[in-house]
Amino acid sequence: MANQTPAVVMDNGTGFSKLGFAGNDSPSFVFPTAIATKGPAAGSGGSGSGRPAVANKPSFLTGGAGPTGHLSMKRGTEDLDFFIGDEAIAASSGPGYGLHYPIRHGQIENWDHMERFWSNSIFKYLRVEPEDHHFLLTEPPLNPPENRENTAEIFFESFNCAGLYIAVQAVLALAASWTSSKVTDRSLTGTVIDSGDGVTHVIPVAEGYVIGSSIKSIPIAGRDITYFVQSLLRDRGEPDSSLKTAQEIKEEYCYVCPDIVKEFARFDNDRSRFQKHVVAQPGGRQVSVDVGYERFLAPEIFFNPEIYSSDFLTPLPVVVDGVIQSSPIDVRRGLYKNIVLSGGSTLYKDFGRRLQRDIKHLVDARIRASEVRSGGAKSGGLEVQVITHKRQRHGPWFGGSLLGQTPEFRSYCHTKAEYQEYGPGIVRRFALLGGPGGS
Amino acid sequence: MSQSLRPYLQAVRSSLTAALCLSNFASQTAERHNVPEVEARTSPEVLLTPLTVARNENERVLIEPSINSIRISIKIKQADEIEHILVHKFTRFLTQRAESFFILRRKPIKGYDISFLITNFHTEEMLKHKLVDFIIQFMEEVDKEISEMKLFLNARARFVAESFLTPFD
Amino acid sequence: MLLLDYQNVLIQSVLTERFSGAPPVVIDQTVSDFDGVKFHISTPEGTKTKIQVSLQIRCYGDLVRYGAEEVLNREYGQYVVPPEPGYDFSVLVDLENLPEEKEARDELIKKISLLKRNAMAAPFEQAYQEYYQLKQEAAKFTSEEAPQGVREGGEVKAIHYREEEAIYVKASHDRVTVIFSTVFREETDRVFGKVFIQEFVDARRRAIQNAPQVLFRNEPPLELQGIKGVNNSGSGEIGYVTFVLFPRHLTPQRMPDVISHIQTFRDYFHYHIKASKAYIHTRMRRRTADFLQVLRRARPENEEKERKTASGRTFKVGS
Repeated sequence: MANQTPAVVMDNGTGFSKLGFAGNDSPSFVFPTAIATKGPAAGSGGSGSGRPAVANKPSFLTGGAGPTGHLSMKRGTEDLDFFIGDEAIAASSGPGYGLHYPIRHGQIENWDHMERFWSNSIFKYLRVEPEDHHFLLTEPPLNPPENRENTAEIFFESFNCAGLYIAVQAVLALAASWTSSKVTDRSLTGTVIDSGDGVTHVIPVAEGYVIGSSIKSIPIAGRDITYFVQSLLRDRGEPDSSLKTAQEIKEEYCYVCPDIVKEFARFDNDRSRFQKHVVAQPGGRQVSVDVGYERFLAPEIFFNPEIYSSDFLTPLPVVVDGVIQSSPIDVRRGLYKNIVLSGGSTLYKDFGRRLQRDIKHLVDARIRASEVRSGGAKSGGLEVQVITHKRQRHGPWFGGSLLGQTPEFRSYCHTKAEYQEYGPGIVRRFALLGGPGGS
Repeated sequence: MSQSLRPYLQAVRSSLTAALCLSNFASQTAERHNVPEVEARTSPEVLLTPLTVARNENERVLIEPSINSIRISIKIKQADEIEHILVHKFTRFLTQRAESFFILRRKPIKGYDISFLITNFHTEEMLKHKLVDFIIQFMEEVDKEISEMKLFLNARARFVAESFLTPFD
Repeated sequence: MLLLDYQNVLIQSVLTERFSGAPPVVIDQTVSDFDGVKFHISTPEGTKTKIQVSLQIRCYGDLVRYGAEEVLNREYGQYVVPPEPGYDFSVLVDLENLPEEKEARDELIKKISLLKRNAMAAPFEQAYQEYYQLKQEAAKFTSEEAPQGVREGGEVKAIHYREEEAIYVKASHDRVTVIFSTVFREETDRVFGKVFIQEFVDARRRAIQNAPQVLFRNEPPLELQGIKGVNNSGSGEIGYVTFVLFPRHLTPQRMPDVISHIQTFRDYFHYHIKASKAYIHTRMRRRTADFLQVLRRARPENEEKERKTASGRTFKVGS
């Protein structure tokens, strides 16, 4: 085909969906994975639970099958009356619509909503005819294969898409790190630290395959940092301590410091480190909020969780080290060498550097201890490297975009013809994109 | 319920209840195997005479009993092309989820739209009359569902056509 | 969502953001639209203040033959630049040189996001013009004695906008005929499509008397006889949907809307086939859940598994 249509890359996360075309360096659309449907007339509106109206017993048929007046055709079209993304959030604040999040913990929970979410993403936002395009979708690690089959069922049967590839987010995040100058060989072995809004995952990947048994999650992520900033603002009695302000401060001023004690001292010596953040309040009033120690304290909760939480006390570097130690011994070297960051909460300045230093400390201490135990044997040392790169924020999406534009991508997809030949079970297996053995 | 449907379902119900008389039976050809004889077809003496209950040429049920298993295949009414497609879609959707249906066969018998396979292990675990109830209810509702989907499709098509043409008005 | 938008949402949102005075950044995005149309939004020559939008469309050759360049030049005038290599048409907007008033800016955004629509509009506009001409000429004659040319109307304009499908436009003295050839690669879609088309054909008779007449047939309609490239096999895979636009749709005031709307026909049609499949899936999921519930009733109620000993310890019985 001379005129190839670009592949569509969709990364549907718990909070946000990233949609776009392969070959671009950023997604075309980023909006909440939310859908607003017409709630039941007597419904409570934004409760966000319960079945969609259309999924109820087909009651519209009992109300008389014949046409009753020529514009009463409205019945049976509720399933077209919905909004997704930002429009859904806007609609749900009005009457009549209930807001739903079809994805929970990275996995699709409500297929009815998800199918319509996709339908609208494709036809309203991306404006493509799915029959003309190949699709690259993402899934979280440990997604049950049945979910893949359901996804394939929707994409092939409802949308007739030309080809489908489903990739694991962590693997795509690894691929995204290939843009970094620090990465010399394009291997798909590494540890991915994926920190979004709700939860942080540490996922070891060997040769493109996720080591499921070693995955660890940390209940500290972007939202917690925002709450922490907010609580600091409240404690000081700042004039504005809304969640939105806290988030702005977090995104604009926060960074990771090498040592908190020294950082406190540096702040006290140098007043210019304190900054002011101007908040425009509704009503046109402007207030100024002081930004102080939270600049470095907020991201510090990854490294010293005890300052924020009382239930989870393991620092991130220790978790990462533990994950790698629990992985098969022959891949550990590769996992230490290629620790890749992904997600919005890893964007703080010097986050990678601090993480690398702390993990290195742990590793070196262990090596020294074993050298002592072995009585004089010398270790060759172990390289620890944390990769920070420009595409971290939408890492999985960008990795998908990178792989989706390669010429061999299409041969890795399953096509509609193959789906019909073998059935949905075909999507349980995909050849590894960009991995060894790939052409 | 139309005139001929009730006796049809009644006939299926009685034949099915009679046929669901299963006992554990080890394979006679392979040692230490216990397979549904109706599928394996290795010992003709344990297979019983299959029987067909037909309402008309488009709707029929085939019951194939054997000593430890019974196979029920249903041909669903398909009056036209649309119903044919819908039946095909629906049965495929169901067989795709055969795992959770226990007694659903992943592939229908040739000439039928959907097949169930009930073994003695199923009847030991589940209540026999409830299984029969399930099959009967399935037959009833499938027809209803197909015709409702067809009605929906027509109503939707009409609505869509009118909405497209209204701006020209 | 019922009707599809005419404009490209992404171009619209990018330009809206840029025009509202957001800090300039480098943009480089390749975006698709329906029917294999490709856009390239970029900031060329390293300047962040100029935005170039390029369009690539499969049937640009056809469109130029029917006056696309005039239409595009009329619409975009001062913004037109020589097309970027690999693309068919480009416009360039200088962010430092925008219209002052907000309305004019919004107008410009709207216009650029309608790039595809405007490119495709050319043959339709030409057909409109031909129709006006033919009408004037035909007015001089009674229907019997009109010369051959007037009775037959203008030539058929073919736009091969997709690999296998085309739009044909033909003007006559009392109507403009728009014919879409449609191909369904899949059985389900074909059957669903047939149901939908039938309702399009019937809609005029039943509800909307003033709508264009819609006809459907599997072999090429008379208007297309002798046209090159028309598949004559009549194999049933290909169908021809004819819209007959009557004088009431052909007034100059209504022209822009009618053209925009009729262009979306194919995508609208396919979108709704897919949306109804989605709805049917919803129903099937629901029904499957119901069946499962019935089947679950067949399992005997499990008695309370947990029993307590006299001392208060619990243990499990069975399985």
